[in-house]
Amino acid sequence: MTGKSMIKRFLALLLLAGIGAMFASLLLAYVPDTDLNFTARYYAENTASDIGAANIVTAIIVTYRGLDTLGEVTVLFLASGIVGLVLSFGRKRDSTPRNLVPVGELLTTASQHLAPVIMLLGVYVFVNGHLTPGGGFQGGAIIASGMLLLLLSDPLKRFSHTLIATVESFSGIAYIALGLIGLVLAGGFLDSRILPNGILGELISAGAIPLIYSLIGLKVGAEFSSMLTSLSETEDL
Amino acid sequence: MVSAIYILIAALGAAFFLGFLKDGMRATAFAVTLAALVFMNFVSAGWLWSFAVDAAAPVEILTAGFSPPFAINLRMGLTEASLTLLVSLSGLLSALYLKDVLLALGRRSMAVLLIAVMALCGIILTRDTFNLFVFFELASIATAGLVLLSEDERALSAGFKYMIVAQAISVFLLIGIIFSYHATGTLNIDGMADASTELKTGASIAFFLMFIAVVAELKPFPANGWALDIYESAHPAFSAIFSAASGAAFLYAADKLLHIGGAAWFPLATGIGIITFVAANLLALPQSNDRRLLGYSSIAQTGLVLAVLGQQDILGDRYLFVAGGLLLAHSIAKAGLYWLSGLIAGRALPDWAALRSRPLLIFAFIVFIAMLSGLPPFPGFYAKWELARLLAGDGRIALLALILFGALLEAGYLFRWFGYILKREQPAQPVVCTPHKLAPVIAAVAAGWALGYLWGDLSGHANLLLTVPLLFALSFLLLEWLPAWIKNTLAIAGMLAFFVLTYAEYDPLRLIFAVIILIGGPVIFLASYHEHGRRLGFYPAAMLMFAGLALLIRTGDSFGFFAAWELLTVGSYFLILRGKHSEPHALSYIVFSLGGAFLILAGFALAAQGAAQYDLASLGLLTQPLAPWVFMLLAIGFMTKTAAIGLHIWLPGAHGEAETDVSPMVSGILLKAGLFGLFVLLMSMGKQQLYGIELTHVLLWIGALSALLGNLMAIFEEDAKRLLAYSSIGQMGYAVFGLALMNHLGWLMALMFVINHYIYKSMLFLSAGGVAKRTGTRDMYRMGGLITLMPLSFIATLIGIIAVSGVPPLSGFGGRWIFYNAILTSDARLPMVVLFFAGPIAFLYLFRLIHTVFLGQLKDEHRKLKEAPFWIILPQMIFVVLLLVFAVVPGLALRRVDIYLNQFFPEGGLNWAGTTISSNYGYWNPVAIMIAVAVIFGSLFAWLLFVNRKAQKVKQFNIVFAGERPYRPETTHFAWNFFAPYRKALGFMVQPFVTRFWEGLTNLLHVAADLSRRLYNGNGQSYAFHFIAFVVVVHFLWTGV
Amino acid sequence: MIYIAMATGFLLILIGFYGALTNRNLLRMIVAFSIADTGVNLVIISVGYLPGRTAPILDTTVTAAAAATRIIDPVPQALVLTAIVIGVGITALMLAYALKLYEKKRTLDIAKFTELKW
Repeated sequence: MTGKSMIKRFLALLLLAGIGAMFASLLLAYVPDTDLNFTARYYAENTASDIGAANIVTAIIVTYRGLDTLGEVTVLFLASGIVGLVLSFGRKRDSTPRNLVPVGELLTTASQHLAPVIMLLGVYVFVNGHLTPGGGFQGGAIIASGMLLLLLSDPLKRFSHTLIATVESFSGIAYIALGLIGLVLAGGFLDSRILPNGILGELISAGAIPLIYSLIGLKVGAEFSSMLTSLSETEDL
Repeated sequence: MVSAIYILIAALGAAFFLGFLKDGMRATAFAVTLAALVFMNFVSAGWLWSFAVDAAAPVEILTAGFSPPFAINLRMGLTEASLTLLVSLSGLLSALYLKDVLLALGRRSMAVLLIAVMALCGIILTRDTFNLFVFFELASIATAGLVLLSEDERALSAGFKYMIVAQAISVFLLIGIIFSYHATGTLNIDGMADASTELKTGASIAFFLMFIAVVAELKPFPANGWALDIYESAHPAFSAIFSAASGAAFLYAADKLLHIGGAAWFPLATGIGIITFVAANLLALPQSNDRRLLGYSSIAQTGLVLAVLGQQDILGDRYLFVAGGLLLAHSIAKAGLYWLSGLIAGRALPDWAALRSRPLLIFAFIVFIAMLSGLPPFPGFYAKWELARLLAGDGRIALLALILFGALLEAGYLFRWFGYILKREQPAQPVVCTPHKLAPVIAAVAAGWALGYLWGDLSGHANLLLTVPLLFALSFLLLEWLPAWIKNTLAIAGMLAFFVLTYAEYDPLRLIFAVIILIGGPVIFLASYHEHGRRLGFYPAAMLMFAGLALLIRTGDSFGFFAAWELLTVGSYFLILRGKHSEPHALSYIVFSLGGAFLILAGFALAAQGAAQYDLASLGLLTQPLAPWVFMLLAIGFMTKTAAIGLHIWLPGAHGEAETDVSPMVSGILLKAGLFGLFVLLMSMGKQQLYGIELTHVLLWIGALSALLGNLMAIFEEDAKRLLAYSSIGQMGYAVFGLALMNHLGWLMALMFVINHYIYKSMLFLSAGGVAKRTGTRDMYRMGGLITLMPLSFIATLIGIIAVSGVPPLSGFGGRWIFYNAILTSDARLPMVVLFFAGPIAFLYLFRLIHTVFLGQLKDEHRKLKEAPFWIILPQMIFVVLLLVFAVVPGLALRRVDIYLNQFFPEGGLNWAGTTISSNYGYWNPVAIMIAVAVIFGSLFAWLLFVNRKAQKVKQFNIVFAGERPYRPETTHFAWNFFAPYRKALGFMVQPFVTRFWEGLTNLLHVAADLSRRLYNGNGQSYAFHFIAFVVVVHFLWTGV
Repeated sequence: MIYIAMATGFLLILIGFYGALTNRNLLRMIVAFSIADTGVNLVIISVGYLPGRTAPILDTTVTAAAAATRIIDPVPQALVLTAIVIGVGITALMLAYALKLYEKKRTLDIAKFTELKW
């Protein structure tokens, strides 16, 4: 280890001691609540009647704090867009075909059988987001992991960018449209009470939440897939 | 009214929609992007209208149909409407500017741009802390993406460095938010503000982390290397957004957090802000890359506004006026400058000389740097005034001093840059100017003027853009296409008309200044008829100076005075800069002048003690311990204009290098502004003592030393115009001395100098200028024997030097006579002796002026010279007549003033009886003296003719010298180093100590800046270090304090 | 228990920062920030935890009426999801940048990307 990097490490430790001291005082001063604070209490008491979602976290994510979630979806949209932009930055047109090590029988066969199941699981997760843990983001990520498996088994596989972009745009626009319907028909932008609340705990319940979460699931899946395909199409380094 | 939520929906909807379009439909995609941005502007503008014009109440926008804090709410009020308009407008204009790039990169880049603008609007609108975090992340990711629009490959690493720091920032922000939530039970900003006493203590780590994370986005010193790299490498249109829009949005986020934390946290904001402001401006000094320089300036301005955010406790209802004025001026100017930089091919500052082929763009540049420097009539000026007033009113002097120091640094590098544009060699590559790139620049210029008008309206003072002199000056901008002679006639007519209209409003003292400015100005303008063509830029600048001067003597309150002072300073700067070699001199002029102006600002602010209106006359009511400080600030400020010794180094170059007709304007007229200020100051404040020292006594010394040293420096000067310039330093020294005597005759003498100096210095500058025009040089040893070729110039010079030297019979003698009487009534003996010595020294340089230029041997190359041009001679002849008239009947001007002065000094006035003037010590009859001198001169002349009647004429080249071959021919000229013997004796007194001092100071600043900026070593990891160290150190200092 | 989770979270942040400050390799820095993100997420959910309570999902054991006394604070849980997703987005973006930077200079050493300075 050179002297310079010793100094660097020492300085880093010194700084982190400062940050650590701040964290330590946060930690030592922290007293867990014994009761829910008024915000949380409101959600606990009113979610069932307001929204009709069994999963209170989902109600918060999709409805109460829907604007955050729209922003969150936008973050992924933005990230996938920029990843595409970065990777196309100065890309050479005439890419020579790549010679890859064959991936092996096991992976190819397994992925062909597993991928549909994985995707189905993803759909299940986002459709049931208002009932059980999980939701659009988790489901979308699962779908994208299915895509990843397919890409791993056949790295030269090309997915249609147009299809992905269309799914992405469609789900995004539809999400915003549902939000606008909420603005017009219900209490405000992204209000999910444009459909009946139904019976707590059933699949068709919680207003538009299953619909919204499905769109989010599709969008997240499309965005992750778009990032993955963009990355897989880069030159080998 | 369209709900503000549609601002967000429109951008997002359009961004998502772009995905439907095929890659080939880029034009459609661009149209969709523009349409969305136009819509966003429309919504914001609509709201702004309803708040500003109809005074509507702010509107809460609920999302999800639940009220806060259970759902996220947005707010649209006056501030939000202005800021979202600012953001979406800069987004729209930049999108337009980026047309080529966006079309080349496709729909993804457009979506990123839309989301960036949306995220910034979201930051402004949201009232929820976590939602704020989400929009922050969107904004920073979009920033990292938009950096890539640049052709500069280095942008990639800049984007990565930014993301490293952004990651670290978001860690602190999230920890801060979640613990603040735990402390208050809500995420809502207003809820947090209401709920918590804990966050408001100043010791809350949760709030500290949240706040420091938001502040970090404002690029505080020194944790801002990442931002500089972005500014330097990003596409200028994005840098415009990053500087104008992002800065505004993040500042508003900081404001929201301060709303939560309350007054306990204000000092933190101010501290970080002001350090950033000064440090960034300092580090900008050695910067040579234009975009990086603008980056430093952006960081500085953001720091300034942050400091102002921390002062909201004393700003009260002027908070928005001040913060908004500074922010909008910065945003518009910076966006405009970045857009301009995209039209310039080279990245070095002198490459901007390319703008010279486009006068319109030069005008745009001027508007932008004037906005940034807080010059009138732009919003930053009004904001600066209010800020200074309120800071001084509350005793926050140190902060005010730092702000003014930083502003001076900034003005220094901005005006240096402007000097490059006008004076450096034009690069080969021309300005690339397509309509879609020009439009945003023009829009920014228009917005600057509109806001200047608005701020003037809101200022509570007279709107500068409605004052007649300024409007008259600005109207010349529209007349630039006319030939110079028409504009000259208009200028003369306008000034005379203004004098006629306002004649009755002046008291005798002001009347003298009014005559010099409004009648004396036009006389000098006669010389301007000599110039042909359109003479671009001359008339707006000159009329701006005269407008400032006219406003200066007409105003009664401190605001009007300061505004006029800045106007005349700027106008004269542009005039001085027109000289061929005046780039460095104009720069030192503007820096000294603005420095002086800031002292005046501080002085007035201190005097007003927070009062919104402050009459100049009230200065006299000030008491200890404030009064001497105010006196000192104002006096030093005024003396930057009179070029008192120590503050004089700008003058010789500025006056010497100026154009022929400009020199008399800036010397004969402009210098009087400083004297006028001193008059006003002494008239109301009188004698002041500071720590037992009589300040007027100090002034006496300054006056005496200026007179002595100014004259001494003049005698060793080879350049005729510089000689005259140095002589002005001496002459102004006399006037300051007279004022500082604080008695009747002293003041009369000062006034005598005001009048005399105008006449003879204008005349001498014109005649020296005329000679220089013909001979092609200003070096006196290159001239000689011009008396026969340029007899009229000779006569003007002869009369001029007789008047200057103060020998009978001309008016200079009158000045001397009053002066000797005045010092006899005073007890300040020692400075009097010094001043006495200055008198004979003046003879030396004056003698040289006539001897080496007009007498002696004619140079071979000058054999065919003609008399100076008619239009340059004409005003000289007028001055000759004036001098003679004033010499014979000085009472014309002085008598009324003498009576007027009685109200200040009833004792020691003069008695005016017929043509005789008498004082306690003797009498003076100008007419008798004139006759006596004429008789003596006539008889001596006749005798000379008589004894020389048989003299033989010798041809010039009938030489009888020994053959000698000099290596430097000029050294053999008798006129070269004319006063070498005196230099041996007195040279030590004219060593450029003062110049060395100021040069040393600027060098020190530059070296310090150059060393410190190495902190920004370009390594992203170091930037992460800086940020974390920033958090730790600020926390340590904050809790330590 | 809750303190252990929170302390672990803070520790992860510090470890992440240490890694980011001392590793010059771009990829390692990205990984380090991911670790720090994880720490943040851990801290967030530990703030919402109330001892002895259950997840904020209504079913037969946690009825709507009794929810206020049975469940933990759902807000941090909602926030953490957003934080995670944003973290993922940024990580993906940084990876893409790193890839491009590597393509340009054939190195992952951050100290080699210092053309912009002063």
